[in-house]
Amino acid sequence: MYAPARSSTSHMQRPKLTTLRAVFSLLIINKAGGLVYNRKFTAGLNDLSSNDLLIMAGTFHGVHEISRSIAPAPSQPSHIPLSTSSSSTATAGTTIQQNPTTLRASGIEVFESATFRLQCFQTLTRTKFLLLTEPQQPNVEVILRRIHELYADFVMKNPFQTLEMPIRCEKFDRAVDGFVRVRG
Amino acid sequence: MVVYSFYIFDRHTECIYTRRWNQRPPSASKPVRPQSGASLTSNGDTIPGARKGLSREDDAKLIFGTIFSLRNMVKRLGGEDDVFISYRTGDYKLHYYETPTRLKFVMLTDTKTNNLRIVLQQIWANLYVEFVVKNPLSPVEHPGGVGVANELFEMGLDSFITQVFPS
Repeated sequence: MYAPARSSTSHMQRPKLTTLRAVFSLLIINKAGGLVYNRKFTAGLNDLSSNDLLIMAGTFHGVHEISRSIAPAPSQPSHIPLSTSSSSTATAGTTIQQNPTTLRASGIEVFESATFRLQCFQTLTRTKFLLLTEPQQPNVEVILRRIHELYADFVMKNPFQTLEMPIRCEKFDRAVDGFVRVRG
Repeated sequence: MVVYSFYIFDRHTECIYTRRWNQRPPSASKPVRPQSGASLTSNGDTIPGARKGLSREDDAKLIFGTIFSLRNMVKRLGGEDDVFISYRTGDYKLHYYETPTRLKFVMLTDTKTNNLRIVLQQIWANLYVEFVVKNPLSPVEHPGGVGVANELFEMGLDSFITQVFPS
């Protein structure tokens, strides 16, 4: 009956039981496909130069778009274009409140290889948060949502931050570091 | 567990076999192709279901492009020994298996399906090798899919898939 909302669970910072699994790194890709943030937590994957990382971010952005168009099954009928015009914001707004998951773009969400797992969380404004973890890492979605909250708190509320530009914000760095160290 | 489609790509990046199951007939709406001039940011606003109606060849090319990029990404991040296994979107899941001869097997299923790497490997070992490679009438390479879609292979694939995905 009183199931806690998803946001409230992510607020809680319960100490994890036994998680020695690794979170490798976090990438944030802006809506144009540019890499705006990159933070490494644990060694384990190959070190890429910043140029390679930019290429990777762009590639992933493209693949993410393509993966939506090769969907074989008809997607849910409740998909609504996000930012059509101000006239439809009223209806779109109510749908968001009713069911936030149906509005999520259906691009790549999880992507697995033998040594790592990439979880992608796309916000409603089409910023992508990519978290590279070990394949067995639990609760990656919760971690990503919490990181999104930190992003909203420390990056979006930073008056010196330019939208869609690389994120240089020490407080965000520290908050993300602290959170991932505790959780991961 | 639902399987949507299955593709084989050869080492020349060509799609040599396509098979689809449980497909809805193409909707009456006109096919919408992404304009090559349009930027990627703007077509993020289109409805995800709106781009139905791509031809089979287009679909296969898009799938190949996707797995090619992802495979390269995996090799760069995880090293040469790393292999790309699968990805999942909100609508479907794509499973991938590559043989040492760079033959690529791809299967699209619904999102609840577990890892199908073994299944794809078995299709290669028990069906492809048996009925295509060992077929004396089939050419060594299969340009345009010549020799792959023979009767034995298709029958074997059908019965294998119905075993794996009991409906």
